[in-house]
Amino acid sequence: MEALRNALDFSDFPRIDLIVAGVVATFLVAFPLTPHSSFAMATMIQFLMFSLYGMGWNTIGGYGGQVDLGKAQYLGIGAFTTAVMLIRWDIPFWVSMPIGVALAVAWSFIIGYPLFRLTGHYFAIATIATSLVLKDIFEVWDFVGAARGLEISPIKYSPPDFLRLIFKEDIYYYYIILGFFFLGILYVNWFRKSRLGFQLRAIKDNEAVAQSLGINVHWAKIKTYAIATAFVSLVGSFHACYIKNIEPEDTMSLDLSILIALMAMLGGAGSLWGPIIGAGVLIPLKSYLKEWLGAKAGLVGMDLILYSLIIMVVSAAEPRGIWGIVEKIRRRKQA
Amino acid sequence: MALLEVHNLTKDFDGLRANDDISFTLDQGELVGLIGPNGAGKTTLFNCISGLHPVTSGRIVFDGQEITHLKPYEVARRGLGRTFQVYVASGDLTVEENVMVGCFMRTRSRTLANVRAREILADLKLSDLAGYLVSELPVSAQKRVTMATALGSDPKLLLLDEVAAGLNPSEIEEIMTIIKHIHDDLGVTVMLIEHVMELVMKVSHRVIVLDYGQKIAEGEPATVAKDPLVIKAYLGERYVREHGEKFK
Amino acid sequence: MDILVSSLAAGILIGMVLALMALGLTIIFGVMDIVNFAHGEFLMIGMYAGLLTAQATGMDPLLTLPFAAAVGFLLGIICYFGFVKFLLRGPMVAQLLGTFGLMLFLRNVALLVFGSEDRGLHHGILVGKSFDVGMGVIIPATKLAAAVLSVLAFCVVWMLMKRSKIGKALTATALDGQGARYMGIATERMNALAWGVGGGSVTVAGALLVNFWSVNPFVGLLFTMIAFAIVALGGFGSVPGAFFAGLVVGIITEIPGIWDFFTYTFNIEWMANVPMTSLKYMWVYLAYFVIMVVRPRGLFGWKH
Repeated sequence: MEALRNALDFSDFPRIDLIVAGVVATFLVAFPLTPHSSFAMATMIQFLMFSLYGMGWNTIGGYGGQVDLGKAQYLGIGAFTTAVMLIRWDIPFWVSMPIGVALAVAWSFIIGYPLFRLTGHYFAIATIATSLVLKDIFEVWDFVGAARGLEISPIKYSPPDFLRLIFKEDIYYYYIILGFFFLGILYVNWFRKSRLGFQLRAIKDNEAVAQSLGINVHWAKIKTYAIATAFVSLVGSFHACYIKNIEPEDTMSLDLSILIALMAMLGGAGSLWGPIIGAGVLIPLKSYLKEWLGAKAGLVGMDLILYSLIIMVVSAAEPRGIWGIVEKIRRRKQA
Repeated sequence: MALLEVHNLTKDFDGLRANDDISFTLDQGELVGLIGPNGAGKTTLFNCISGLHPVTSGRIVFDGQEITHLKPYEVARRGLGRTFQVYVASGDLTVEENVMVGCFMRTRSRTLANVRAREILADLKLSDLAGYLVSELPVSAQKRVTMATALGSDPKLLLLDEVAAGLNPSEIEEIMTIIKHIHDDLGVTVMLIEHVMELVMKVSHRVIVLDYGQKIAEGEPATVAKDPLVIKAYLGERYVREHGEKFK
Repeated sequence: MDILVSSLAAGILIGMVLALMALGLTIIFGVMDIVNFAHGEFLMIGMYAGLLTAQATGMDPLLTLPFAAAVGFLLGIICYFGFVKFLLRGPMVAQLLGTFGLMLFLRNVALLVFGSEDRGLHHGILVGKSFDVGMGVIIPATKLAAAVLSVLAFCVVWMLMKRSKIGKALTATALDGQGARYMGIATERMNALAWGVGGGSVTVAGALLVNFWSVNPFVGLLFTMIAFAIVALGGFGSVPGAFFAGLVVGIITEIPGIWDFFTYTFNIEWMANVPMTSLKYMWVYLAYFVIMVVRPRGLFGWKH
């Protein structure tokens, strides 16, 4: 079980990183038991969800260096699969979620094969194109509720329902997503040490060299893309049960895809902690900006203006993200 | 036993004939040099052999199997490794990780890849540099890392592309020792493109000379150095007169 | 039959305006390899510029074009020196996200300033007039004028690029930035100029477009994607490519009409149930994808 050992082995991180991680982990576990507002709880759940989206994106976008701006379509697949299966056939989350992942991954292989013939900007725009195509289809497809979307009404079920993931109190949702969060971290830890992880990093480094070392570049990228897709779809299914009200405009929009990529980039693409840091900064920022500024009449969109300014400043000033800054400082100390 | 056979290889780039009807064979255990003026088509030849460029016509047979139309990673998996002349890295991998990538071609296990990588690093005297990012190293070390990485994939034939370029004399000595080690001790058949004459003429059993895409000479270094065609194209008569001793 | 012809005609007309819009993107991309996500937002600003000038001064909308061009030119240059310049130094991820941030910024400033309602232009000498070209096809004069002016503007820019010294300098920078620098061409200024010219052509397209397409702060994204599709089809960096591709994409946006034509001519029932109108832009996105996979160079592209 070398894979398991690899997943659990964090020894190649400096001690201080592990201590900080430990502290944060403890805080995350203890959080719901401390006094908090429901707004804070909702923000924390969003943080955990987006960390997972970011971690998934990071496999292909960070380690792989292929900027994917169309991840939201898989969120939609996961969310709508779970929602449809629950509403129409009363299928519990734990069954519909893997099915959602399977569908999403299948779709990712179908478009991945032609998609990865492209690189750079062209690839990025193509990912947007495919995401918009799927969203447009969902918006006219009655089976998934078309543009109105679907609604899961909790009254029909008797919460707390662990099979269908219907709860009245957020705390249940919190711990479930926290569980996925920790599993996600373990998975990424395994990934970056696995053969595929190394192959991807070699590809990002120099594709021709990677080829000369026996790496099937095209296939490696497709596999990784599928992994990223699985992450996003899984959390998408969770999203359906948590938010209970989903429509293509919310779950599959370009803005959402960009947010996911942004999170990972801001925190530091290509590192384990990056997406988490990114989510940790951006999600509370976005939420509280909206709270304070967005609701005020006459200042519509002010929160987004500030938010977009932040994006612009970070892109121009420190493209390697927060973790990139940390590593830079460390390397300077070493020299 | 012929390890590599190149039959009438021609490569055209939109009207420019980079390789023109080149044929030669490489036997197992040989150390062959490939020389020629800049633009002669040497790297293109390597690229065709390793599958990076599709050939316009001709055949390539490696270890008894036809590899002419295979993709680069398929060629590599048959045991044909190579280094690259221009190494542009985005700077993410450490030396050890880099070599491990090579090792991962032969194993799925990280532990095994790591062990093997360390062996190779020790062998090539790179152990001290294991934790550094490749992009942070000086050129001479980077060249050694590319060779170590290629060795990780356990090749039968190793194509080296100007591994001595940009090195000072003592570094050239070092690289020469490593090349000889790879060939003599590790049993890898080697073909190297080189401009540094002292190196290539000293280590090669045999030398092939290209000029304007064509093979113009082939033979032992000392013989080739005196070949009038080669001298005319490349070495220059004065050079041979003054440095003739080095080729004995 | 007339549905088909009028759809095609409408497609071609709007295609020319779209081509002008895409022209800006292809110039910027050709010169400095950066993909501008905020491109559609420039268009949106051009639309507002045209609209507001016409409404404020009572001028005929067609006369607002020089003003719109000036706005676009300035906006482009400001964006370059104020922001894009710094993006160029970083990795591609940063560039993509940076221009996306610019897009959000412009969109939300517009929202703040203009509010979210649709606004359209309804006065001017050409409104309400149309030409009857026979076969039951009626072309609104506004659309025709917009198309003609687009073609004119296109030719102007094309001439500029080919004949003028500045245009040649721009092309040189596009072909080989380093080399151009060695020849004494100030690449910085060329980059800014590309953004200026690019911005200017987009806003003119916007000012033309607003004559028959209402504007609100959110129209940008759709047009950005349309622009990408045009540039991909025509070939990144190719000016004539943008023109022909614009026509093709314009026709693609009229797919509902063409679809209806086939539905009713051949009486195919299931076709009538497909909500093609809602899906018409999907074809544009699909077109981009298919083109890039099948023929990445596009029709005339030299840069890849």
